[in-house]
Parts: sequence; structure tokens; C-alpha cells
Amino acid sequence: MTRTRGSRTRALTVALVATLFATACGGSAPGNDDETSGTIRLLTPIFEGTDGKTVLEKQLGDFKEKYPDITVEVDYTSYGKLNEKLTTSIAGGRPYDVMLMGVGWIPPFAEKGALAELDESRQELTQRYNERVVEPGIYQDKVYGLPIMLDTRFGLYRKDIFAEAGIAAPPSNFAELREIGRKLTVRDGSGKLTRAGVDILSNDLRQTFLPLMWANGGDLWAADGQPAFNSPEAVGALQLMTDIIRTDKSEDFGFTQPGATGLPLAQGRAAMMVGHNNHLLAIEEQAPELIKEDKIGFFMITNERPAMFQGGTLATVSAKSQRPTAAKALVGFLTDEQASLAANEQRGNVPALNSLADSEYVQSNKAAQFAMANLDAAYSEGGVPAWLEIRGDFKAAIESALLGQKTPQQALDELVVKAQAAIAKG
Amino acid sequence: MTSTLESPSVAPASRAPRPPRRRRRLGAERRRAAYLMLAPSVIHLIWWIGLPVVATFGLAFTNYDVIAGTIEWAGLDNFREIFADDIWNLSIWHTVVFTFFTVPVAMAIAVVIAVLLNQRIKALAWYRAAFFMPHITATVAIALVWMWMFEPNLGLFNLLLDRVGVNGPAWLSDPDWAMPAVILVSIWKGIGLKMLIYLAALQNIPHDLYEAADIDGASSARKFFAITLPLLKPATFFVFIVSMIDAFQVFDQVYVLTPDGGPANSTTVMTYEIYRTAFGEFDISAACAQSVVLFAFLLVLTVIGRRLTGKDGDEA
Amino acid sequence: MKRKFDARWVLHLLLGLGGLIMIVPFVWMILTSLKSRADIAAYPPQLLPTEWVWSNYQAALDYAPFGTYFRNSLLIAIGHTAINLMLATMAGYALARVPFRGRTVVFMAILAMMMIPTYTKIVPQYLIAKGMPFFGGNDYLGRGGYGWLDSWWVLIIPGALTPFAIFLFRQFYLSLPRELEEAARIDGMGEFGIFARVMTPLVKPAIATVALVTFENSWNNFLWPLLVTTRDDLRVIQVGLAAFQLAERTEWSYLMAGSTLATVPMIVLFLFAQRYFVQGFATAGIK
Repeated sequence: MTRTRGSRTRALTVALVATLFATACGGSAPGNDDETSGTIRLLTPIFEGTDGKTVLEKQLGDFKEKYPDITVEVDYTSYGKLNEKLTTSIAGGRPYDVMLMGVGWIPPFAEKGALAELDESRQELTQRYNERVVEPGIYQDKVYGLPIMLDTRFGLYRKDIFAEAGIAAPPSNFAELREIGRKLTVRDGSGKLTRAGVDILSNDLRQTFLPLMWANGGDLWAADGQPAFNSPEAVGALQLMTDIIRTDKSEDFGFTQPGATGLPLAQGRAAMMVGHNNHLLAIEEQAPELIKEDKIGFFMITNERPAMFQGGTLATVSAKSQRPTAAKALVGFLTDEQASLAANEQRGNVPALNSLADSEYVQSNKAAQFAMANLDAAYSEGGVPAWLEIRGDFKAAIESALLGQKTPQQALDELVVKAQAAIAKG
Repeated sequence: MTSTLESPSVAPASRAPRPPRRRRRLGAERRRAAYLMLAPSVIHLIWWIGLPVVATFGLAFTNYDVIAGTIEWAGLDNFREIFADDIWNLSIWHTVVFTFFTVPVAMAIAVVIAVLLNQRIKALAWYRAAFFMPHITATVAIALVWMWMFEPNLGLFNLLLDRVGVNGPAWLSDPDWAMPAVILVSIWKGIGLKMLIYLAALQNIPHDLYEAADIDGASSARKFFAITLPLLKPATFFVFIVSMIDAFQVFDQVYVLTPDGGPANSTTVMTYEIYRTAFGEFDISAACAQSVVLFAFLLVLTVIGRRLTGKDGDEA
Repeated sequence: MKRKFDARWVLHLLLGLGGLIMIVPFVWMILTSLKSRADIAAYPPQLLPTEWVWSNYQAALDYAPFGTYFRNSLLIAIGHTAINLMLATMAGYALARVPFRGRTVVFMAILAMMMIPTYTKIVPQYLIAKGMPFFGGNDYLGRGGYGWLDSWWVLIIPGALTPFAIFLFRQFYLSLPRELEEAARIDGMGEFGIFARVMTPLVKPAIATVALVTFENSWNNFLWPLLVTTRDDLRVIQVGLAAFQLAERTEWSYLMAGSTLATVPMIVLFLFAQRYFVQGFATAGIK
């Protein structure tokens, strides 16, 4: 009796939910339209605001000249709401033809069949891009995304503060990093921190930890695809962060409130930091004299090897697109020299195409120039479909180590257990 | 039930005795009018909220992969999964603590301010507007100011603590103090709307009650406790339920003050976890299961609240 | 007499101090909106701008098509407020004043509708909007087209009625004395007449409250309008403000300038609505 009832409820629930969703999802199988014509829809988390929109519209004007029969409808959003837009549009069976998304999105979307394979091969792409840049767009040896812009994290330092203390060069290993950090830390009479020797809190914590881990010779995944971010190298990287805060006291937890209290490096409240290439733009706006007088320097975070964190925005085509040919044409156009240069210039980011290293923009933006020169040492996060689930837990784990609640080993071990569960769930 | 049994129990309640038949006809007429007046709202709510709520309950028992577009029965798997997650359990505890401290305090302050702002004094409109301002000021602006006040080195709080020789904490970055700080801001922000509702409710209290009390020589405090508070019962029930629902679903101010769950997840709350599950991890089903848990909490608290305030002033 | 005078002063002092604490962020927002980027990044922060950059406002307005956004937000907020007032007063009255079977169940169901968070309701709501039969190329089963997506319908109708408003009105109708309606009934007035002509004029403070809250919620709504529209000409003011917060950095001065401008209509509305909170308003009708 209970059994029948149970299965009836069960059938009813599935039927009910399925009706609601099926009515919405109906239609839209992959189209067989091979003409480069019709209307295609583009979802973009970059180009928001009038400035961005002007840049994109100008580019799309050129696209229209090249493909007069394709009309592009643009839906502007921001990274903050990208997932909501993707979720509702895909659930509603109305996916965008071309979707711009971040590095971590490619594996889950490709794995679940939401992305169309692009007509590109790794070999071809490595002619135009650095190998490291191509990798995030590839899942299981198929190309799903082409990079438009990169955002990178590396070391930034104040040349003036270094010179004042007689330090000739930025740190070339973790020991030097700690030593210089201690040396350049300033506290007032009452012990209040007035200048952090090294600022590891102004950048997203996960994106600060990961380049340190890579520099220490660690990797996110072992050869068998299992999480490896509790390896001795990874623990060493978190230990370094913990030492900076808890042992050296080169920075206090809570010293900066990203967003509210400004950028310590620009304020002279930090001597060096793990930062974003875009911080240069922020410094230029807040304290332009620092740029003019060449007081900002960059360095690769280095211990066992130099490393740089590389994220980026990639262009993809939906697997459900009715006009895949036109969509792919748009992807090709948005990632080509002209359009991607315009996007990076507007955003202050790093172009992905090798050929743009000589462009006027890159030559004038020292952070972009530095990043492009060091792409060989760039590492990306992601790699597994469960990444979007896993990445959210990094911040709290790192914080629990920095706050002394857990040892770095404990914090990362627990993180790995969670990651394994997320991967197993599929 | 026969009318002989029914009428004696009804008659004492109504002060104007009428022949039973007329009463019944009138009752039917009134009911019909009531159904007509309710119909548009009920249809709208069923369609736009009822169905989504039902879908939420349904999805909680399925594995719905929104990106792949697959759906399958999952039984209680989602519930097992979320309760195995210690961060979710932590967020439940945080939410309870948050609600427990914000709702009563903000309500108490709000009712006092509402009474104070219900007199004929100069600049009344401006005082009222001032107390309502936190409710309409952009959350980012609120966060910006409070972040500066909580700033460890130069923030107002620590400067004051410095004066009395206390070394203040890092507030929003301190796992022990982040939640109290968020609660403080939420009380501050929550006063305006509660005050507004109390202010509106105060207009329904007949003035002659106070005049009579004045003749008896009652003090202001006595009038407040003997007349104002009892007559504000329906409003208090409303404010209590709505504030609790809001507190249980708090998201914005917690998120901007202490992003991504706060220092070592010390301020993560249920709605943030739901948001993260649904749109950070694309696990709509698990998010629905979490919502069902949130729903269950609120339902139980509402029933308790109804009992406490004596059937919400159903006396009418 | 002297004692009373002193009490007034104490009251003003208390309220003044309290009020000041409440408006600090708003004042700070205005000051920040007039600062240069260097001022905003300064540590420690300066209270007043070193130079008053009034051009931030023009720059902020140029940052997005705020004219269109403003118009859209205004239309939606007015639509929401009007519909909510009309439907919720009726529903609240029926729940409060007319005894019928299942009244408690309906009431509790309406309360229950407030208990599921937006983030889980929003995907089904999107699907319902997309599946609206006969609209946007849909057939009678809601298949084939895009339903209400990208239309004024979807911006105005789904959010137009709130359980909050029904609940509030119910509580206010509950607290009205029974003598009034009985007197009207003896005069031969029908139920609807009693609702519209006798009882509703007595809950004007509640109407002002719901109008204010509905308008404000609608004005601040961000996620729903963003999700259900893809065209810029249907977007709202909060979407415009969100554009100041890029992934890499926030344009604080523009954000604060835009937010200040966006707050002004609500302050005006409040100052207008609060006039209905005058003692003796409801009681006037009883005597």
C-alpha cells in the first residue's frame, strides 16, 4: 500500500515538474542551417556600460559589413549575474548562440553537452596563441572556446619603497618574499600596522593562493585527475601565506577591505602585493603620479618555478544554436585581432593573441606587456566539470588557515575531501 | 449541524440579533462577495508564486541538471546531501542567531520611535524621513560607510575603544565579531520599515482612549503599555512575521559587508548558501531542498508566532 | 509648563541624534558622488571632497541610457503599485472581515508564499513567463515561442501583487471596529460598498505604507528585469547602476552619483506619503 502510494507520488512529482519544464524546453534542436545568415544572439558579461557597449557596437558594425546577412542581438550582463542568465536561458530552452564565459565554465558546459565543438585544432591555435592560453578552451581534446581577453595575477611592488630600503630587486623565492616583507613592514608606536610588507589580502584569496601553489611546484590535479591541492607544495604555499600573516606579521587579517578602503599599494600602505594586471589601471586612476614616475614594478611569483595566474573570457557557441555557422563566424570575429584588442583596451586587460604583443595598447600598458611576456609561466584553474562547485570552498579554507583555526595541511585536506565528493557526484 | 445547535453559539458574538434565516442569506451573500474580491489575487498568486513553490518542492526530490537538461527522481538524496554539508548546517545556525538578535531588538526600537514620531512636533516629516532613510539608501553605500566605521585602524568603533584603552577587533574580518557587526547594521537598517508600519497602525487607535487616560492621570509609560501596545497587536503580529521572514532570507547586507560567507564562513546564512548552490554550482535541485528546509523553519516559527500573539488579533 | 518645555527639548535632541545616525550613509553617498577618484581612494578617507567634481553626475548619466532606464523603472513601479493596491485591499478585506470556510487556510497559504526565497522561485517563474499561452508566438499549451519574455507584460504582471500587501491590509482591516460595517449594513449597503466606501477610507495609512513599500521594492528590483529581458530598451535603473560595478573594479563616484539620483524619487514619495500618518485620521470616521 505504502509502496504504491510512494510510487504514485513519485510519478506525479516527476510528471508535474517535467510538464512545467518540458513545455518550456520544447523545440530548438541543433539546426542544420549552414548559411551565414539570420539572427544570432550573443550573451556577454564584458562590454557592459556605455563605454563597453560603444566598443562592441562599433565592432559589430564591422562584422555586419563582413557578413551582411547576419544580425547580432546582444544581451549585456556582468560576470556577477552571468550564471543566472545562463541558467534561465538554458533551462528555458532559449540558449544564446554565442556565449562569452570565464575559464572555469568550459569543462562543466562542455561535459554536459551545452557547447558546440569549434572547428579548430590545438595545433592550429598554438600558431596564433601561446599554448597556455589555448588550454582552458579545450576539454577532452576538443576545442570549445577561444580566448578574447586574459586577466592575470602576479606580483606588483613599489619601486620607491624598495629603493628607500636599499632592496635592489623583487623577491625571487619564498624566503626572499618573507624577508623583504618583514623588512618593509611598518608599525606605529602602538603596534598598529601602517604599511604591510606584503599584501596578500587585496586580491581574491583563491587567486592569490593558486599562483603561490603553482610557483611552489604544485598543481591542482594529479595525473589521475584527482585533486592534488593538498600536496606538500600546495601546503607549502598556504604555509607561506599563513607565515606572512601569523609569524612575520607583515600584514594583519582585516588590514584591507577590498572595495571599501582602496588599494594599499597605491596608498603607500603596502610595499608589494599579489595583484591583478587590472590593478595598474586602478593605480593610474587613483595615483597617476605613481605610473608617471615609474614607481610600480612587476614580478613573477617564484619559488620552484615562476608562475602567474591566468583567467580569461572565452567565446563559445551553444550546442543548441540554430545557426552554428553564423555563430562560429561571430566567435572568429570577436576573437580576431581588431575586436579583441578593442575589448582589452576598454577593459585594461591582456590580449590573448601573440600578434597583439606589439600593439600600441600593449606597449603602453606595462602590466599587459609584463603578462604577455610571461605567458609561458601562466597557469589556469578549472579543468574538471565540478570546478565551479569546488572553487567556492577555497576562500573559507584559506581563511581558516590564515586565522589560525586550522593548520594549512588540515585546511587543504578538508578542501580536497569536499572536492572529491563534488567530483564523485558528477 | 442543525441551526438550533448553531444559532446559540453565534448569537452572543453578534450584538444585533437578527432572524437566523436572514443571517444565513446575508452570510452567503457576503461570502460570495468575499470570493469575488479574493479571486483575482488568488489566481495571480497561484500562477506566479504557487506554481513556483510547488515546483520548488517537486525539484527538491529530483536531480535536475539544468545545463544538461536531464531530470530524474532522487528521493531524499538532496536532503541527505545538504545535511551532510557542514557549511549548510552552520548557515542554519547563523540564520537562527541573526534572526534571534535582529528581529526583537529592531521591533522594540521601531515601536518606540513610531510612538515618538506620532506627536505633533516641529520637523516631524524630516525626522520620519531620516529614520526611514536606511531602508531606501543603496545597500552599497550603506556597506561602504559601515565598512569604514568597522575598519580596524581608523574606524570609529576602534578609535572609541582606543580611548577607553581597549584594543578593538578587526570586526568584519574577525570570525568572532563579523556576525555581531552584521547584526548591528541589520538592526539599524531594519528599523525604518518597522517604524513605518507601526506609525500607520498607530493612526487606527482612537484618540479618546488617551483622553480618558489623561483624565485618570496616567503616565506616558503607562499609556504606552496599557493602551498603545495592546491595540497594536495586529500590527505587531504582522511586523513580527514579516521581519522573521526577511531575517531568515537575509542576503544583501550580509553579502556586501562580508562577501562570500565572511571570514572562514562565519557569516554565511541560508539564503546565501541557496544562492551559491543554485547559481554558483548550478545545482538547482539541492538549492530547492535547502529552500524547503528554510520554508519548514519559517512555517513552524509562524505557527508559534500566531500562538504567541494570541491568534494574530483575529478577535475582529 | 516649564517641565513640558524641557521634555520637548530632550525629545528633539534624541530624535535629532537618532536621525543623524540614520542618514550618515546617505550623506556619505552624496559626498562620495562628488569626489575625484584620488579622493575616493584616499586613506584615511576625507569627509569633504578636496575638489567638488560635479561632472561625476553627467559622466554617470552618460555611462548608460539612464533616461530609458528611468522611464522603464517608473512605469513598472507605478504599475506594480496601482495593481497591488487594487487587488490586495480587496483580498485583505475579504480575509479580515468576512468569515468563510477555509479562510485560515487561504491566509496561511498566502503567508507561506513569502517563505520560499527568490533565488529558487526565479527559474520556475522564468519558465512560466516563457510558457504563457498565446503570447510571443506560443500555442495554447505555451509551446513554440518566447511567451512573455522581453515584453512589458513580464516586467509588470508577475511582480504586481505581493503577499506582503494582502497580509498588511488584512491586519489593518482586522483592527477596524465592527460597529461601522454593521451600521452601513443596516443602511442597506452591500459588501462591496462597505469595503470601498466605509472601510477602505479608514486604512489610508496602510494604503500609504503599501504604496511606498511596493514602489520602493519595484524601483530596486534588479534580478527579475535582468533575466527576463535581453533588450536594452526594456531594462531598468538598477541594471544601469550595476554596470558601474565591473568584475575588476568599481566606479565608485559614478555609482554613488547614480544611486543618489535613484534615491531622490523615493524620498519625495516618502515625504508625500507620510502626510497620511496623522493622528485622528481613522478615528474621524468613527464618531
